[in-house]
Order: sequence, then structure tokens, then C-alpha cells
Amino acid sequence: MANNVSIAENGRKQFIVVKIGSEQYGIDISYVDNIVRMQKITRVPKVQPYFKGIINLRGEIVPVMSIRTKMDLEPDEFTDVTRIIILKLEEHGVLGIVVDEVKEVVTLAPDEIEKVSYDAKNSKSNFINGVGKNGEELISLFDTNSIIDETEAV
Amino acid sequence: MDVSQYLEIFIDETNGHLQILSDCIMTLEKEPENMDMINEIFRAAHSLKGMAGTMGFKRMQRLTHDMENVFQEVRSGNMSVTSSLVDVLFQCLDAIEAYLDNVKESSDEGTDDNEAIIKELNEILAAGTGNETEEEKKPEQTEEKKADGDEKYPKKYLEMEFPEKAKEELREAEKKGMNIYGLSVFIQEECLLKAARAFLVFKAVEDFGNIIVYNPSSQDIEDEKFDFDFSFYMVSNEDLEKIMEVAQAVSEIEKVIGEKTTYSELTAAAEKREVAEAKAAAKKDSEKKAEEKGTAPAAASASAPAAQAAPAKKSTPGKPVTNRTVRVDIEKLDALMNQVSELIIAKNSLVSIGATSDGNSGSANSQAFHEQIEYLERITTGLHESVMKVRMVPIESVVQKFPRMIRDLSKKLDKKMELHMTGEDTELDRTVVDQIGDPLQHLLRNSADHGLENAELRRKRGKPEVGTIHLNAFQEGNNVIIEVSDDGNGIDTESVKNKAIERGLITPEQGAALSQKEIIDFLFMPSFSMAKKISDVSGRGVGLDVVKSNIEALGGDVEVKSVLGEGSKFIVRLPLTLAIIQALMVEVRGEKYAISLGSIETIEEIVPDEIKFVQAKEVIHIRGMVIPLVRLDQLLDCEPNDKERESLTVIIVRKGDKFAGLIVDELDGQQEIVIKSLGKYINNSTKIISGATVLGDGEVALILDVNTLF
Repeated sequence: MANNVSIAENGRKQFIVVKIGSEQYGIDISYVDNIVRMQKITRVPKVQPYFKGIINLRGEIVPVMSIRTKMDLEPDEFTDVTRIIILKLEEHGVLGIVVDEVKEVVTLAPDEIEKVSYDAKNSKSNFINGVGKNGEELISLFDTNSIIDETEAV
Repeated sequence: MDVSQYLEIFIDETNGHLQILSDCIMTLEKEPENMDMINEIFRAAHSLKGMAGTMGFKRMQRLTHDMENVFQEVRSGNMSVTSSLVDVLFQCLDAIEAYLDNVKESSDEGTDDNEAIIKELNEILAAGTGNETEEEKKPEQTEEKKADGDEKYPKKYLEMEFPEKAKEELREAEKKGMNIYGLSVFIQEECLLKAARAFLVFKAVEDFGNIIVYNPSSQDIEDEKFDFDFSFYMVSNEDLEKIMEVAQAVSEIEKVIGEKTTYSELTAAAEKREVAEAKAAAKKDSEKKAEEKGTAPAAASASAPAAQAAPAKKSTPGKPVTNRTVRVDIEKLDALMNQVSELIIAKNSLVSIGATSDGNSGSANSQAFHEQIEYLERITTGLHESVMKVRMVPIESVVQKFPRMIRDLSKKLDKKMELHMTGEDTELDRTVVDQIGDPLQHLLRNSADHGLENAELRRKRGKPEVGTIHLNAFQEGNNVIIEVSDDGNGIDTESVKNKAIERGLITPEQGAALSQKEIIDFLFMPSFSMAKKISDVSGRGVGLDVVKSNIEALGGDVEVKSVLGEGSKFIVRLPLTLAIIQALMVEVRGEKYAISLGSIETIEEIVPDEIKFVQAKEVIHIRGMVIPLVRLDQLLDCEPNDKERESLTVIIVRKGDKFAGLIVDELDGQQEIVIKSLGKYINNSTKIISGATVLGDGEVALILDVNTLF
């Protein structure tokens, strides 16, 4: 499950690089349905605290999650560059996550990705299944499934 | 023949026929003399057999064939309906259902021959008719008798007339040592290309010999001027078996009958025909009387073949009255529904644009615009209602199997009980109806097993020996209520409480403080069974919790009322529609919520002074009722509002006979809203929010399920 990321023909994978707090994270592009600007999020009472609420994405209701709250970071600060990344998983429908900024799309070869050891105690690291090296920069790669699986379990 | 394309229809119709059979047999058990029922049963069994045969399900065909034989005897008065016969018949139905299940799963009927049932059927048949066949064996009637055994397929070839030339040919052929065969071929009534089928039959049999004479004439057959059967005589050197086999192999041929004959027999038969005709006419007359209808063609003037055809037709399944319906895949309806939803959202945006542009121009243009919007609104509302109606089906399809189930349970549990149902025509959304069967079945089993006492105890308590279970369905506002009630023992809350204490769910102290309702709620907890011993009816503790979760998944809920010693009542409340509702839009601290109009009773303006306290809870006293208040801002964790307003808007909502008052900040008017799910990710365990909707301006509003507030 943890390695369930799509592999391009030559083994290279594309990631959308986003900024959350001071760190850069990569999201496997094959899960990304859409990137939308920050819009009004309707609060839903009595749900998990990391759910900001729901938005209307062209007539569809999409739940939006704060990855910051989920990773125990400071609450989101919405700016002009804040975006909602709409993830789509075949069976699970769509889910939006709030990121501080979308930087670029990078292509990483398999040897540029280093697996990280799984640490069950550190909830934050549970979402990361690798570190990508893009030139000098390091990008933590989200394990998209674990973001979703855990939200379901809670 | 490739029959897979018909498989769905087959499954559907077989289900229908099984249901008819089950219903009729139930009635028949009570009224063994009811001829209408017997005829109905016969028709259904016959259709079943025909369909099974068409689809190539031989085992199913065989079983239905034997059932049909039994009904045949019952119908002709040779056998009476007994309880044991009914039992066997129900076993047959179960077996057919098992075949059908196999067909559903694997497009194959499976390999169970059900020999035991068939044997039992035949034994009953033999026992019921054996003594009577003797006296009927009068010489000239043997022929008739045989034909009666399979009345739908009379030996029509016996009724043919032979032109001189044909006679000549037959005689010639016989001299040459060839066999003369008379055959009648029956085509299925659903067949569309009768002439083509007939042609195929002729083509097939002509490989073996020559057809000498046709009835109707070959020209008429070619022109499709015949009912569903035709006969012919042929000469051949081959075995009759073989010829019949190839004829039967042609698709959509229901039955081929035939026999070897000789020229002299044929000429004798022609004479006998006179007698047969008279008999047929008499028979037809009596049948006519029984039917009390003059639908059959006039007997007297009809020509010989027509008069003969009439009784044959009678016994074939009555053609369904052309009901003007179309089968539509539910997915297509869903797609249509989605589009209507989109249309309503678009309409709502137009309405909100219209509302905002209100101020700046009072021109004629703007008025025309408003008129058109109103027109559009009417159309969309109508369209929505129509689509909803299309999706609505009566719960009948689900509940009709229950009388049979109760009958079985009654035997199995050795308790006398009766099921009374009302409101079977209550309609619900198809998706709801599809899923409500299991929970209802469970509740009924529950009533039968746990609710009703045995006859002895009932006598002691001064109740009628036969226990009664009621299943009532009716509509209430935007909900459909289905009540399952029994006049049995009721729920013994004391023993439920003790059980809960015993299981460590609560302490005895806690138990003492519980209300009756809270105790009954234990019954809905997973693996909480009150049955003292596990039976195959119930008692495994997998039950009411599943019922509850199934019903809640459909957006409904279950409520229980019970009086110890007098009976209990399970009330299932289901939403009428799942997709679009009329709702009142309200604002709470700037957040918009929608409340289903169906649950709103009234709207009141009150001043804070009117709020009283009962048991430290806020209530208002309005028109003789004390209604608890719910402050939505607190319930929904909104930012607290420090200053109390001078007047409060209270929406009085109702669930069953309970009321509650919701305090809101603003009313935003009534709107048609499209319910959308919040998705799986959001853990909406409190269920206060049942969904969301997109408003005309693109904003999202949450839908409050007020039923959860009670």
C-alpha cells in the first residue's frame, strides 16, 4: 500500500511540489485531480478537527482537510498563494487539502527518491513515504493513501 | 439459441410468477375451492415452465412441469388442496427460487435435480387421482383423457381434414412401407416471427421425409395466418422420436407432439372428429360459464379448427393486459435525476440573480424576467416531481413475500399467528425499497419469535390463541412510516436491564436511573441478544443493530414502543426521497442551514421571557404544549453570541408525536434543494448534518437532520 505510487514508463514519477510551513512536499501527480484557489470553506460542525469543511467544486461537494492540523502544525494562514489541491482516488472520491503554496512540477527518477523508514510513533512521518532529491532541494513525498486511509479510520 | 439477452427479463418475470404462485397458494390454502386462484396458479406455473424451457433450464422446466400436472388435477377437480400439498408446493417454489438464484449468479440453473420434491409431487398426484382414473377409462375416452393430461397441447393433427389427393399420397406411401406421422407444433406466444419458425420446423423435418398435408395450409402458415400452433402429416422412414427432436430444436418452439398412425386410423379419426367437436363445444360452454365472460369467440358459428382452438387457448396463460410500461435501467434514472438536480441548481442561481437585480430596475424588462423565472421554477418543480414519481415503487414488491414467511415461521415455531398488512401501495424511492426488505423481514421474525407467546400462554393471558402481527405502511410528511407491531409479550425492560448489567454494560446504579427508552436502546446494540436459546429464526444477536444501521444508512430511523404483556411496535421512519427536498433555509451566526420542510410544524417568534426551565432545560409553553428548545448555535458549536436578542425565532419541528423548538437567527425562505453527500472522509458520527447542498450563488449550505435531535 505504502508504495502504491504510479510509475511512468521510464520509472520516473512526477510530483507537484507544494509548500506547507517551511517544508516542501511532493504529491504524486497521478492523484491530483485539480488545483483550485482558496475559496469559502463551509464549516461542518461535529466532525474531525482537521476537516476545515466543504467546498463547492463546480456543483460537487468536496470535503477539505487541513494537512497542517493533521500534522500538528500551526493553523493555516490563508494568503493569496494558498491553494486547495483536489485529490482523487478511484474508489474514495475526492478530497481537498489546503497547502500554503504550489511551487512547481518535478520529475524524479527512481534513484532520486529515497525511502524513509516507517515510524509508527511519529504520526507526522506516517504521511511520508520517501524523500525526493531535486537538485539541491529535498522534497518530502506524501503517501497519498495514508492521508486518506487515516482520515477514514478516525 | 443465445438466450443471455433475455436472462434479465427471465429473472424478472420468474420472480413475478413465483410471487403470484406464492400468493395464490396461500389463498388457496384458506379457500381450497377458489377456482380463480387455481386458474391463476395454473397460468403462472405454465408460464414458468414455458420460460424455463425457452431458456434451456431443463431441471427447472421439469419441476414446474410436475407442479403444473398437480395443478391440472386440482383444477379438473380430481384432487383437493390439502395442507400437505401446500407444503410440498412451497418446497417446489423454494426449489425454483434456488434455481433462479443460481441463474442469477452464474446464468446456469445448477445441478440440483430436486428428485425428492418431484417424487413427492408425483406421489401426491398418484394418491390424489389414482382411484379416479379407472372409471374414466371408457374406450372412446382414452384419447380424450390423454389429451387432457396435457391440455395445452391437444393433438390437433387429429382434427385435420384430408383432401383426396393427400389421402392418395398417404396410401401410396404406406404401401411403400413408410410411416405416417401426425405432428402438432406449438410456438411460444412471445414468438414474433411465427412464420419463420414454422418454416424452420418444416425445413428440419423435411430432411427426413415429405410433408403431405398442412393445417392451416402452407400458404396460411407462410402468411402467419395461424395462432400459435400448426399441424401436419408427413411420411418418413425415420423414427418419430428423431423427427420430433429436430422440430423441437428450433428455437421458440414450445412443444412438439406427434404419433405414428396409419391410413385406416386416419379415416376413422375423421369420423370421430364429429364427436370431438361436439364435446369441445360443450366443454367450451361450461368454461365460459365458469369464466362468466363472453370473451371467447362465438362457439356455434365457429368453424371446426377455431372451435378446437378455443379450449386450447383458454389453458395457455392469459395474455397480460397490455400494460403500457417501459423497463428502464435504474442507472438511467439516476442520470436523469442528476441532470434534474443540476437544472434545479441552475434555476436557483437564476432566482438569486433575479433577487439581487431587483433593486436597481423596476422596468418592464425586469418584470418579464421574474415572470419567466417563476415559470421556470414551476417547470423544474414539476419535472422533479415527475422524475421522483418514476423512481417511486410501491413497497408491495418487498412486503408481499412476508405472508409466506409468517406461514413458515408459524409452522416452524409452532405458534399460531396471522399477518395483517396495510398500505402495501405506499410508495418509496426505488433504492430505499430495494434495501428495506431485510430489515423488515428481521423485525417480523423478531415479532414472531420473541414477541408472540405460545398458544398456551396466550390463553392464560386471555388473548386470542392466534397471535397477530401488523405491518402498516403510510406516509407522514416527507417520511414514510412502516410499523411492525405484534400483540405479544412486549419487551421486558427489567430483564433487558438485568442482561445489560450482567454483560457489564452498565452498573446496577446506572440501570436504576435509565428510562424505558434507554433500556430498549440496548436491544439495538451489536451482539445483544435476549433469546434464551439460539434458534435458526433468531437469537444470534446479529439483528436489531443491523436493522438499525441499515435503516440509518437509508436516512431513516427506528423507534420502539412496547408495553409488557400487551405487545410491542417497531416504527421505521424512512425519507420519501433521497435526492431533492423542499427546505427552509435558516441562518445561524451567518452560517446557512437547510431544514426539511416536511418536519417543520410551525415557526414562532418569542421573547426571551417566554423561555421557562424544566429540569434545567429550556422549554417554551405554546398552545398547551411544552416544547424543549434547542439553541442551534450552541448545538453546532458556533461562536457564542453574548447578547440575547429581543425576540427569538423558533422553528417547531416534529418527529412522530414529539416536538422540539430550534432557535435560529434568520429565516432565508423556502427553497428546493438538492441533497449531496458530505463524502466518506468526514466522520459525521453525530449525524446532525445529513448532507450539503449548493445554493444558487454557489455557496454551500448544510442540511440539518432534525430527526437526530430527539
